[in-house]
Amino acid sequence: MAELTADQEPVPPLTIAGHWDFRYQYFAGDAASRFFHELGNGRIMGTLCPQCQRVLVPARGFCDACYVSTTDWRQVGDRGRLETFTILASRFPGLPDPPVVIGYVTLAGASTALLNFVLGLDLTDVEAAATRLLAQPAVEVRFRDQREGRITDFFFQLADA
Amino acid sequence: MSSSPAGAAADSVQKVYVHGTAVHRSWADRSASLTDLIFSATRTALERASIRWRDIDSVVLGAHDVTDGRSLTSMVTAPAAGAYLKDEIRLGEDGASAFVLGTAQVRSGSCGACIVAAWGRASESDPDAVAAALFDPFFSQPLGLTEITVSALRAGAALARYPGYQEWRGPAGARRRAAAGVEARRPAVQLPLRSGELPVWSDIVAVAVLSAQPGPVEVRGVGMSTEPYQVGDRDLLGLPALSQASGQALRSAGCAVGEVGVLELDGLTLFDEALALEAVGAASAGDGMRVLAQRSDINADGGFAAGYCAPAMGLVRICAAAGRLTGGSDLALATGSTVVAAQGQAAIVLSRNQGGG
Ligand SMILES: [Zn+2]
Repeated sequence: MAELTADQEPVPPLTIAGHWDFRYQYFAGDAASRFFHELGNGRIMGTLCPQCQRVLVPARGFCDACYVSTTDWRQVGDRGRLETFTILASRFPGLPDPPVVIGYVTLAGASTALLNFVLGLDLTDVEAAATRLLAQPAVEVRFRDQREGRITDFFFQLADA
Repeated sequence: MSSSPAGAAADSVQKVYVHGTAVHRSWADRSASLTDLIFSATRTALERASIRWRDIDSVVLGAHDVTDGRSLTSMVTAPAAGAYLKDEIRLGEDGASAFVLGTAQVRSGSCGACIVAAWGRASESDPDAVAAALFDPFFSQPLGLTEITVSALRAGAALARYPGYQEWRGPAGARRRAAAGVEARRPAVQLPLRSGELPVWSDIVAVAVLSAQPGPVEVRGVGMSTEPYQVGDRDLLGLPALSQASGQALRSAGCAVGEVGVLELDGLTLFDEALALEAVGAASAGDGMRVLAQRSDINADGGFAAGYCAPAMGLVRICAAAGRLTGGSDLALATGSTVVAAQGQAAIVLSRNQGGG
């Protein structure tokens, strides 16, 4: 039987590739299902917390700050201010070609900010675009003609574009 | 023995000490497996602690399955951290949270000595893709949200609100750039964050050995807190979970942040570090970037630029704080932020044990 000792000749280190590819199905539940359904109707909906009176957008079944179920549904407005943004510079599966702007907007009547793509901006000079976005410009919601009950059914458009 | 319930409780609380720490940083070392790296760092920490492995009662681990690319990673990795036939707790959280649980184990008297270990090996994976997988599939994933993206959104909010952030980001970033590792290991730029403000990915293992026996550093207080999941619900600038966790840690230690000489605050980017200073009360609102620029002693090793990989970083900061205490300061505050996008925070106050150990 061969014996190996610590001072053996080194061997090439082994590296193997790995990849995870599992299938899941995620159940949106009542509140999110209605939220996405209403996007199909061109409406952005929130749910009201009966305790703190915040209108939570996107709609959800409970307020985690008060730990109570939400009650009424409220349609929120289609305008707001771009509170913050980032410009994605690298290609990412499922996303449009870069550069892509995403940002948070608290729509009129909402108490929480909503994330989506921001369009209507010249991105040939991304530094200049970033400077413009730092001024927190007004934006408005635009719905796509073809809607499929997803968050990408709408986007934010610079109001002065 | 005290006759009052409060006195009895106080009598029964076990003091907890940090005896040895180790932080191993490397990059794509093909001669070492992940378990090799964990074993090596844990052995080093035990040697520095002068505690034999057989005298360890429990092991607390902070690790992420998707970061490690191993489903239920601690099945594979726990023995490398010394968990064989020990009481073992596995957390999918930052290492600072693991440290809090390790402290609780020793403080409760249920164990005498404990290994806390956390790691991440960015070179084996794609940290941005891993981060994207952490977000919910309905509202966030379709829009490309990652940990870096949220930090960029946080930076945008800070730049829009606080003039001092634009003014001081250059000087603050310059020192981090001086400490930085290889530029190629930074994630892609996401404006308004600039390259030098982004982390340098690294392979990191951090280990701390805790014991009820007096040692050089005492764990004086701990705190943890969690924010909403939805990023749009959060106060991106105020980091309320960090304020709460650090406040709790400082209160239980019986000290104010102004008395703390050593600050080691986990932040994924330059802006996260600056805002963390404000959240723990070491800078006023809007002034965090200036303080970060002017105080070279905050995250003195270079912070995010010295090598970053979740979920090891809170424990890295704790180990750094413990090391700096033995170098002269009396009190340290270390914090660790956890997934997703600093939703959870843990804070720890350490003190130099005047009696030695
Ligand atoms: Zn509420």
